[in-house]
Amino acid sequence: MDALLRDHLVSVVVFLPLAGAALLLLLPRSAAGAARNIAFGVSVLDLVASLPLWTRFLVGEPGFQLREKVDWIPQLGIGYSVGLDGISLLLVMLTTVLTPVSLLFSLTHVEKEVRGYSVAFLVLETGMLGSLVALDLALFYVFWEVMLVPMYFIIGIWGGPRRIYASMKFFLFTMSGSLLMFLAILFVAIRHHAATGAWSFALEDLLGMTFTGRVETWLFLAFALAFAIKVPVFPLHTWLPDAHTEAPTAGSIILAGVMLKLGAYGYLRFALPLFPDAAMRFAPWLGVLGVIGVIYGAMVAYAQHDMKRLVAYSSVSHLGLVVIGIGAFTTMSLSGSILQMINHGLSTGALFLLVGVLYERRHTRELDAYGGIAAVVPVTTALFLIATLSSIGLPGLNGFVGEFTILLGTWLSPHRWWSGAAATGVILSAIYMLTLVQRVFWNPLVHDENKKLTDIRPSEFIAAATLVVLMVWIGVRPNDVLDRIRPAVESLQKSVAARQVALRQIARPGIAEVRR
Amino acid sequence: MTGTFVSFTRADLAAIAPEIALVAAGCLILLLEAFAPRLRRWFATVALAGVAASLWFLVQAPTGTTFGGRYDTSSLTVLMGLFLGATAVVAILVAKPYLERTGEERGEFYALLLWGHTGVMLMTRGLDLLIVFIGLETLSLSFYVLAGFFRRVSASSEAGLKYFLTGAFGSAFTLYGIALLFGASGGTRIEELSRPGLADSTAVTFGLLLLLVGFGFKMSLAPFHAWAPDVYQGMPTPAVAYLSVAPKGASVLVLFRVFGAVFEHGMPDRFRTAVAALAIFSMTLGNVVALAQRDAKRLLAYSGIAQMGYVTIALAVFGRDALAAVLVYFFAYLVSNAGAFAAVSALYRDETKPHPVGLLSGAGRTAPFPAAVLALCLFSLAGIPATAGFIGKFFLFKAALEQGLYALALIGVLNSLVSIGYYLKVVYILYMREPIEGEVPPPLAPSDRLALALCAAGILILGIFPASLWAIARQAAATLPLAGP
Repeated sequence: MDALLRDHLVSVVVFLPLAGAALLLLLPRSAAGAARNIAFGVSVLDLVASLPLWTRFLVGEPGFQLREKVDWIPQLGIGYSVGLDGISLLLVMLTTVLTPVSLLFSLTHVEKEVRGYSVAFLVLETGMLGSLVALDLALFYVFWEVMLVPMYFIIGIWGGPRRIYASMKFFLFTMSGSLLMFLAILFVAIRHHAATGAWSFALEDLLGMTFTGRVETWLFLAFALAFAIKVPVFPLHTWLPDAHTEAPTAGSIILAGVMLKLGAYGYLRFALPLFPDAAMRFAPWLGVLGVIGVIYGAMVAYAQHDMKRLVAYSSVSHLGLVVIGIGAFTTMSLSGSILQMINHGLSTGALFLLVGVLYERRHTRELDAYGGIAAVVPVTTALFLIATLSSIGLPGLNGFVGEFTILLGTWLSPHRWWSGAAATGVILSAIYMLTLVQRVFWNPLVHDENKKLTDIRPSEFIAAATLVVLMVWIGVRPNDVLDRIRPAVESLQKSVAARQVALRQIARPGIAEVRR
Repeated sequence: MTGTFVSFTRADLAAIAPEIALVAAGCLILLLEAFAPRLRRWFATVALAGVAASLWFLVQAPTGTTFGGRYDTSSLTVLMGLFLGATAVVAILVAKPYLERTGEERGEFYALLLWGHTGVMLMTRGLDLLIVFIGLETLSLSFYVLAGFFRRVSASSEAGLKYFLTGAFGSAFTLYGIALLFGASGGTRIEELSRPGLADSTAVTFGLLLLLVGFGFKMSLAPFHAWAPDVYQGMPTPAVAYLSVAPKGASVLVLFRVFGAVFEHGMPDRFRTAVAALAIFSMTLGNVVALAQRDAKRLLAYSGIAQMGYVTIALAVFGRDALAAVLVYFFAYLVSNAGAFAAVSALYRDETKPHPVGLLSGAGRTAPFPAAVLALCLFSLAGIPATAGFIGKFFLFKAALEQGLYALALIGVLNSLVSIGYYLKVVYILYMREPIEGEVPPPLAPSDRLALALCAAGILILGIFPASLWAIARQAAATLPLAGP
């Protein structure tokens, strides 16, 4: 057991939820209470198991740590190869925190097919964690796709009235990007085989590949499309408001908190380092799409009457900011983007959770149905306010650090004006989020139904408070997080720069052509 | 040369022992049916024993060719035999409760299934086009009868007649093709087709195209697919589980054998274009038409048409890796497609009526196990990772990209995106609709449960640990003299 935890800690964290899901399948279907508790217990256990990842991770060390490698399909050089750098470490921790939080909320609010629901969440957790630690492209693709199936069921079975449409749209959108990436992965591995005579799908081997300009562009676009759909980058975002609005609260938390980040993560981990030249050529486009996303998302969010839809569009806007930071590609903007991914996971997760709390009591998410409930539900109001302030970047909370780092980092890049546009987004977010708070919690109390609203329950409070504590922690001590991000970002930049130099030296005609 | 059939050696006998066991088991069941009908409930067991015995003899048989180079016992045929035998096992396991439910448990069903199975075995093991043809006809005749098994149900009779007419049509193409090849090469052994100069002859080209059409019928490859939806709909579901998998695999193997012999130095581009066009047409037609289907068996029929389109990509790629990919693909197809039909068989109460998908509403709750397996099979057919179907597509598309057939691979993956539309529709009906009042699926029989569990386990094991099957498949594929990697 000790040896298992010492040498295979990452695998334990990844597969523990799957084992829990298998355990749940042994239970009778009617054992709803037991299923609920086991699922929550397993996710907490996984959080506990993931804490040593945080402590054993060597801060300041570039490269991947806690590596594990086992042959999987040795004839093709496909291995079960996992490891962590600062970026994946943080997202792994975010996942292991948000899963128990969402399951804790579900403890009291899911009545239908509890066993299936719990199984879906645990499988989903394994899928997300696996995608975050996989260092083999085939392995990554497997985890990446496996995530879709439980989320499809979560939206489709436990979702709102338009859940069928939303779940189908979610599945088809994500799948369409992934399938092209699948071909691109195969193509890269085949080229590697042709060039070296050895089969490999390992990221470290494939990083050494060079392609002619046109080929690289196509490969990059195939990867980037898959990730851009997931983020989602404007104009590929249309699945997101539907999926978020229709998903059950816990599903929205996970979807917004972790799954969207996987798009940005995949871009940073695979698309960018594998095809640096194309990525740099397309970076300005990416930034512009990010700017559009920030402003468009904010404006559409302002126009919403449904709380969940409003928060969903705010995600489009906030992730636009992340995309800008990636497009600017300075150390600071990249670090900010990664930090902001975590922040968005915490704040949006908390917002969806609290919207869920209100919805479970009032069974509507219409803004007009509320108003003046601050006095009725003071604790909920306080938590909601903190989450809102975190989301709009109040100094002292996590959002401020992330946004500020992105803006500053982008200002240092050649694309200064993005920074200005992004700042507009930050201001707009304050407008629509504070309007939301105003209309829901402060305005006069006109509806009688709202006078009898009960305040947050202890289990819901613990779930929300956990996120609030983390928001404050990152807001006060951002360097705990940034220190872990920086080496990963620097080595990413270094590898991209080195690859670009190498490419220039080879100076294949295809590239020369493009450079002119 | 003529003496080879007369001298019947011990090795020859050992080589055909698998087929003898199957035929004998079939005969035994018929005799029991006539003289000891009370033993009826043991028929399925006898049939399973027959299949098991045939597999045992197959594994035991010394490798190499017998009957003067006309019959093959290579690792390729052993692997193929395991594939066919496993399909037969699933079909028999599903057949028992199915026939009991319909009150038609007659020995003929098992006997015909075993004889049809014998025919498919002959197809995969014959190195002489006449043996292949005899196998094809044995298969076809058995299944013409099985298609019309419910004599009092008009849909079943319709299926029997349709299958017979179109099947006879397809066989005529095959036979004409064989005749042309015989005329050009002067022999019926496949090996003789590799004589230099034959690849360019018009007769051989036409012969091969006719074979492609003839076996295309058996594979339900568009545009030779029109029989499949109607026949699947009327035929007893367990028989469909076999027919929709095993003969297709055997047909592809025969095509690989014949093409491999003729095109010793690789497939000419003109021919490849024709095969690729067939693949694209079949994938696209199957997937698009499946979107509009409302009957579970018709939907699976069109899905099968599309799946055979994917397989035909491998035929266009042509080469050892492509053949290995096809072998893996068919194992995946076996567990997914036979599993899907097994689940359909277990989920519908009235076997003689149509099988509208809508009737499965809420089956995820009323019949959790078969519904879960059906969903798993459909995800596998759609090629979602961690299932066998993904592994099949993985090797297939890899082979295509390696040969530079980018457009074909791209059309292939776009098609699998389309296919998700109808596979998910069934999953949606299973899990996201309320059960219909009064429409309860039949109780799950133990042998149904076993068949479903085997398929589900196969899907997951193959999907998660594919390395050893790929190694075996590559080794098996190496026994065919194919050009290319």
